[in-house]
Amino acid sequence: MNDAALDEFEAAHAEPGEVGVVVPQDYVSDEPFTFDCGRTIPGFTIRYETYGRLNATGTNAILVCHALSGDHHCAGIHHLTDRKVGWWNNIIGPGKALDTNHYFVACANVIGGCQGSTGPLSTDPETGRPYGINFPIVTINDMVRAQERWLRALGVTQLHAAMGGSMGGMQVLQFGITFPGFVKRMIAMATTARESAQAIAFNEVGRQAILQDPDWADGNYATGGGPKVGLAIARMMAHITYLSDASMARKFGRRTVAERPRSGAAAATVPTAGATDTESHAFDAQFEVESYLRYQGKSFINRFDANSYLYITRALDQFDLAAGSDSLEAAFAPLEARSLVVGFTSDWLFTPEQNRAIAMALLRAGKNASYAELTTDLGHDSFLLESPQLYDLVRDFLTS
Amino acid sequence: MSLRSHKRTVDLQVITDWVTTSSRVLDLGCGRGVLLQELAQQKRTRGIGVDLEVDKISACVKRGLSAYQGDMMAFMESFDDGHFDHVICSRTLEEVDEPARVIAEALRVGRSFTIGFANHGFWKNRLDALFLGRKPRNDVYQTSWGESRPANPLTIADFEDFCRNHGYRITKRVHLRGDWKTPNRLFPNLCAGYALYELTH
Repeated sequence: MNDAALDEFEAAHAEPGEVGVVVPQDYVSDEPFTFDCGRTIPGFTIRYETYGRLNATGTNAILVCHALSGDHHCAGIHHLTDRKVGWWNNIIGPGKALDTNHYFVACANVIGGCQGSTGPLSTDPETGRPYGINFPIVTINDMVRAQERWLRALGVTQLHAAMGGSMGGMQVLQFGITFPGFVKRMIAMATTARESAQAIAFNEVGRQAILQDPDWADGNYATGGGPKVGLAIARMMAHITYLSDASMARKFGRRTVAERPRSGAAAATVPTAGATDTESHAFDAQFEVESYLRYQGKSFINRFDANSYLYITRALDQFDLAAGSDSLEAAFAPLEARSLVVGFTSDWLFTPEQNRAIAMALLRAGKNASYAELTTDLGHDSFLLESPQLYDLVRDFLTS
Repeated sequence: MSLRSHKRTVDLQVITDWVTTSSRVLDLGCGRGVLLQELAQQKRTRGIGVDLEVDKISACVKRGLSAYQGDMMAFMESFDDGHFDHVICSRTLEEVDEPARVIAEALRVGRSFTIGFANHGFWKNRLDALFLGRKPRNDVYQTSWGESRPANPLTIADFEDFCRNHGYRITKRVHLRGDWKTPNRLFPNLCAGYALYELTH
């Protein structure tokens, strides 16, 4: 919260433990920014949110890093009628694991993103048109360097912790290496030190779905248009990799759309792609899981830019912390932060083995590091879901 | 102080005395990190704990220690020879698969290997088995069969034979009586309730 008027509201109305209504803000840097690829842009904007208050010495900040399709909105609501809370609302707030009574929690949309930070949708000052695929190639390190500039501008002198899952975890690890003196603790979960061939393969199928959509138009589609079918398919496929067989079996089983109760809000919010008794088609959504994926794909195109998806998945694929070093352990050598790495047993995208490898390399490098493996059957997305065990672990690590 | 925590204290103190200052320590089956914290405080060690349970790791994290949740063999295999000054295995070896492999690996990654175990040859255990015809249940073995973890108990005689056969040098040894406090020198395999050893190649 950064606004006195909102503070008054919070005191009067917000539920205990909630950060309440938050207002996204923009940080604008007028300094040129040079990407790892060598190209320079004259400046950039980072959209962010913060919760809690920064202390006088600027040392109580926790940076939250978002995953591929995430954004800066990780806690609270945007307006009173907003039913959707931030993506990590269950861990951030007064009295929660990331206790906003003590910590200043900050989360920014990454550079290359499409939710207000500078990315392919932004206007290229040289042409007056959106960058499109003329935007420089983005790396995880670029995301981190842009965030460091923004955090310094906020008055943060040292991060109490950097924390994130999946792509957020990659940023956390990169942050510790690129800015060793700046980060005191790192919490990386459901992540990897280098994208695996399988993960690259999934990303490639998603990219091809976008690139092969005629509406992609070589990346020069009009704002509001673009390869919607391709992007929805990319999202549907990616979404499968975030879940697990067990969680899908529990959530949907082989239930068909026809078995779903006719009335109720749920039926109204999940489009069934025209599967009605009167005009049914063999390839209409027949199973609940199909209907769910179609819904996920459809809602994604309303909030995500296809070119951003291409850029960010490329950043993921190129991520390899050990590249340029003899080993991962050598890459971690400059690190000063204490680390907590968390893997989830049912995560088949960034497997426990990949998370374990990070912790092992940290320990071989002589760093203070811990590895915990939580038993879940919810797949890669486990880090986002309610888990008292995870909250305790994080809370203990932050206060130790 | 309960008997259990009292026993823990003597055990801790003996091991702490053996560990050299500022050394690198690996604690296999570290539990809640009590020993590692003691070592860090008294001997300024750089320690890592390994345990299978997330709650134990969580407790270690709370103490500010390095802790790794997972299999001890897989863990050790990714370290170079002699990476650690001390590898410690206190009351864990009875529960591992293939203890001979664990000891060999511990002596590869560590310059010394410290082990503490309850002596299954302790006279009370023998009497329990002989007269009651049951799994021993006494000060040393406090749980009934149904609540016990899979164990592969060993005796002082077993362990010393093992070391002799494998050419491991016993550099330190302490045998404690049934109270787990008083040193025991006579017929240790019969009279000692608890044994502590330090091995090197």
